[in-house]
Amino acid sequence: MKEWQTFLRRFSDMIEGKRELFIKDLTPGKAKYDTKHVIGTVAKSKKGLNKPDILWLRGESGERSREPWYISIEQTLKEDWVPGKPWEDVLEALDKMETVRGLR
Amino acid sequence: MAFNSHRDFFETLEKEGELARVKKEVDWDGEAGAIGRKTYESGGPAILFEKIKDYSEGYRISNGTTGTWGRVALSMEMARSTPVREIYREYEKRVDVKIPPKILKKANAPCKENIMLGDEVDLYQFPMPMIHEGDGGRYVGTWDVVINKEPETNWTNWGMYRFMAHTKNWLTGWPQTTSQLALIMKKSYLPYNKPMPVAIVLGADPLSHIIATAGIKPYENEAEHAGGLRQKAVELVQCETSDLMVPAHAEIVIEGDLMPDQIAPDGPFGEYPGYRSGTMCAGVAVKVKAITYRSKPIVTMIALGTPPDDSSIAASLTAAVAMKKGLLRHGVPVTDVYVPPEGVTHLIVIGVTRGGTETARKVLDYFTLRRIMTNKHIVVDADVDVFNMAEVLHCFATRCHPGRGILYEWYEGRSNSLTPFYSPEERKKLKGCSVAFDSTWPPEWEKEIVPIKASFKTIYTKEMIDKVNSNWDSYGIKL
Repeated sequence: MKEWQTFLRRFSDMIEGKRELFIKDLTPGKAKYDTKHVIGTVAKSKKGLNKPDILWLRGESGERSREPWYISIEQTLKEDWVPGKPWEDVLEALDKMETVRGLR
Repeated sequence: MAFNSHRDFFETLEKEGELARVKKEVDWDGEAGAIGRKTYESGGPAILFEKIKDYSEGYRISNGTTGTWGRVALSMEMARSTPVREIYREYEKRVDVKIPPKILKKANAPCKENIMLGDEVDLYQFPMPMIHEGDGGRYVGTWDVVINKEPETNWTNWGMYRFMAHTKNWLTGWPQTTSQLALIMKKSYLPYNKPMPVAIVLGADPLSHIIATAGIKPYENEAEHAGGLRQKAVELVQCETSDLMVPAHAEIVIEGDLMPDQIAPDGPFGEYPGYRSGTMCAGVAVKVKAITYRSKPIVTMIALGTPPDDSSIAASLTAAVAMKKGLLRHGVPVTDVYVPPEGVTHLIVIGVTRGGTETARKVLDYFTLRRIMTNKHIVVDADVDVFNMAEVLHCFATRCHPGRGILYEWYEGRSNSLTPFYSPEERKKLKGCSVAFDSTWPPEWEKEIVPIKASFKTIYTKEMIDKVNSNWDSYGIKL
């Protein structure tokens, strides 16, 4: 089971279901913390997830959640970015993309 | 002789006992940052980590090369023990001298010894440190020189902005929206949906980095001021993928395009105010197109945090001198400005020849007119040594009237969102407040009612002071 982490403003912003996220690979080595842009199903429990990985949440000050969530990665997107203008909020841009893609 | 490069400076640091070479293998993932932080907090030396986990011999990380006043003095070729006041004076004298840069051919530029282009680009080939536990990523740009240009005028800006590895060929960063880099992006590239070429330079000569922290006015080329500060032209060379000119002796130059329509997460990061606060996911994304670097490259790290470190020391110097000039232009009768490193450019001390509410108001006006990086301003009389914080604190405690001596001003759209006490909403709107503490005697008071400071130098007659001084040894009191 791989481990990933993702950043959000508040832990309570994370909701279960299909999400578009930037996640960072915590596998040790030269490329640790490399970012992947993915669509996946996230949940507090690994039960019911297909090949789940561990997903650690970090808040806007970098604090890590006590308990991990889980993610089943369904698609790794080829774009390393989301559409938006410099200094716009990336998390809001991801929310918009979820709506555009019909994820929620 | 000015130092040409980051590594040239190490010889002097080593000779002066100001450099530790760490030969034991150190992990780039937190360990190098933690060692750097502990060293800053203990007043220790600059560090060169010579063996980095996961990386072959020769790939190195430095920390804290100008992280103390002594090392700043050495970088300016002054004695390590030079008092802060004299470092300020010398900087003030040199920084307005402009010496145009010298352009080198690529073949003569050490930063071109190795070149990664296009698909070969892989940031992970460099030991970019994960500086603090919980940072948003590996920050390769902490002690950097970031270069961009206004195409209409060829004005080239140098600044110091944070950048982290997003993927092997993307960086994300957070130059503030009020920075000169942002000014150029918003004026010359964003309206046309054009990517802006940028170069992120690691390990230039020490004074080029100091100049990158300076508040040099728009349309002034920092490279010329760096020449003045060094008392010798900076040698530049052209980038591989743009017409930007970069310091030729740099350790690593990352060339890329700051994208006008693509964004990705940056931060959070343990920043210069000494906190990791909620500034994240609101920055810029850079597609890296080339990396040029010296053999055995050194990644320049500063394990930023609570003061002092390179950032708080450099800003103390460069910001104070810029503020002094600005205040004089604004009609404030300034004697000196001091930015105590402990105040991380949030707290400024301004000495004036004539105090009072009118002067304090002028001071506050100056600091809130445009982009606002400061928020607390202590205005003191000329008899107070602004470089002596014990004197400043005594003056503030005893001369600032809590009812009529505190002036403040609210604003929106131009505050420093890294200021830790702002709420998330205030940070988002760049809303803030600045205050001036008028710690001066009201100028309308008659001389005979102004309290006399009861210190040795001020409450005795000259005759008594001279008598005590000349007899001091005979009293048998050792000081």
